[in-house]
Amino acid sequence: MSSTVVAGKDVLDKPLKLLFPVWVVISLLIVLFPVYLVFMVSVAPGSALFGERPALFVEDPTLRFWNDILQRGDLWGPLFKSLAVASFTTLLAIVIAAPAAYVISRLPVGLRYGVVIGLLVTRMFPEFTIGVSVATRFARLGLIDTYGGLVLAHLIGSLPFIAWILVGTFETIPRDLEEAAQIDGASKMGTLLRVVFPLAAGGIAVASLFVWLYSWNEFLYARLLTTNQNTLPLQVFQAIDRGSRQQMATVAAVLTLPILLVVYFLQRYLKPGALAGAVKG
Amino acid sequence: MSRSQEAAIGRPTDVAVPRVGFGRWFRKHKLEVALVIPLVAYVMVLTVVPILDTFRISLSGRAGNSFPSAQNYTSIFASRVFRTAIKNTIIVSLLSLSMELVLGMIVALTLHAKFFARGFVRTVALIPLGVPTIVSGAIMLLLFSRSGYLNSLMFVFVDLVNNIPGVNLEFQALSWTVAGGWRTLFTVAVADMWKVLPIVTLIFLAGLQSISEDVYEAASVDGATKWQRFMRITLPLLVPFITMAIILRAIDAFRIYELALVLAGRIEPVLGTYIGGRYLPPTNDPFTAASASIVLFGIIMIFIVAYLKFVAGRSRSA
Repeated sequence: MSSTVVAGKDVLDKPLKLLFPVWVVISLLIVLFPVYLVFMVSVAPGSALFGERPALFVEDPTLRFWNDILQRGDLWGPLFKSLAVASFTTLLAIVIAAPAAYVISRLPVGLRYGVVIGLLVTRMFPEFTIGVSVATRFARLGLIDTYGGLVLAHLIGSLPFIAWILVGTFETIPRDLEEAAQIDGASKMGTLLRVVFPLAAGGIAVASLFVWLYSWNEFLYARLLTTNQNTLPLQVFQAIDRGSRQQMATVAAVLTLPILLVVYFLQRYLKPGALAGAVKG
Repeated sequence: MSRSQEAAIGRPTDVAVPRVGFGRWFRKHKLEVALVIPLVAYVMVLTVVPILDTFRISLSGRAGNSFPSAQNYTSIFASRVFRTAIKNTIIVSLLSLSMELVLGMIVALTLHAKFFARGFVRTVALIPLGVPTIVSGAIMLLLFSRSGYLNSLMFVFVDLVNNIPGVNLEFQALSWTVAGGWRTLFTVAVADMWKVLPIVTLIFLAGLQSISEDVYEAASVDGATKWQRFMRITLPLLVPFITMAIILRAIDAFRIYELALVLAGRIEPVLGTYIGGRYLPPTNDPFTAASASIVLFGIIMIFIVAYLKFVAGRSRSA
């Protein structure tokens, strides 16, 4: 053994060095190829898609399917519903969770940690266990197919999540600042509004993007609470169920585009804990 | 408590520990209470109460049934579809979990090494997180179905290999999604893995970054090979991160819904699609849907307890 080991070098060194770039390129392809596929198929003419060996590149791209969904109008309803629901969910989530997160962040350490873990655990509950009851009640209250009903449902998943992120944000704001403001005569509420929240603006912005994304992608509650006014993810499912491959790919591309942009900006905030239960199949 | 007492203890008091009777404490912290109540109320009314209510529904039945009755439970456990769904959920979870752990470890080790354009590769590696789950289902359908692109790729690969003189491979186009059985479950697991690999990778990467370089240096001075260093240093030190990944991913894998709906929907049920199928039209049966979702809740609770015991109890960053 010792003959092959000279100052930290060993038999694995050479093959690793040679294979490393190949492996990096392969893994990039594994990530990128599926995304490429959606956009490629959305501009593929029908003839390119069949046979046991569908073409990997489109030689004569067509915008027919993009024109179709943009003009036929059955995209606009779902697009608007998804936009509106995601935006209202985000807004309400901040209004409800930010003040609570501030108070939680000022609790004694042990208690604070318990509350935070409790928030995380509520996110691990299966949506169906909550959803079966919520959907039956909402049906009785006439909240099926309404924006409000879906916003209420999306808040179930968003609130613990945003509160959890914001507790972390508020923890980083020193209490001395609050005390200084209060010595200068500010009320508790005034201190919060003029000192604490402005300092937390960055964290609040990041947290809202996560919530917006969650609501934009959300499928399960949307499916339980919708009979005919689809959201965009439901529209994708409908296209999978009964559309052509290109229709499916086009709607899927519309749903994906804004997200790729947002994730690009969010990447440095992606920490493992933040994602616990946030993304799932 | 007076100021001097506080000073004697020697540390500033935190907010909100009732020591002098609830009334005075409440008057002092009216604002704080008012700020927390909306969140607490929301979680009670739209998370805790619905779970209890689903439990109640699971014990009821259409008019005429006496409450409580375990009839919904006996009927789902008697159903072959439900038992298949449980079996399939376990298979998919085990498959995707083991693939995620192995690949996640390899990718994390890759991204931990220093190389040209690492920043770019790290960014690209996160892309699947941004792809909506339902879209990754659609993509996997494009890849795995009859006349799917996986076949095209395989043909390209076989052609490439056949350029080598003396090699003559043959490949037959496969249809994965409609095959049923293991093949279909495998596509669901692959789809799940593709989507969440970045999370597992991020967890492992955090773990790798927590290991000090000195340990490795000491080991190489003592003549340890790369493989020995990985087996004897990296893996043991990563155990808490591996535990965290396994538990968090198991919780998500058992709740899998969209991907299974799209890729295996009518052929191979999992718990999620079984519950959805019972609740939604044309079945419209909230009662068995409720009891199946309580079973799912029970399974998830096992993992949550494991999470509280092994992950939350140990690290504060969880």
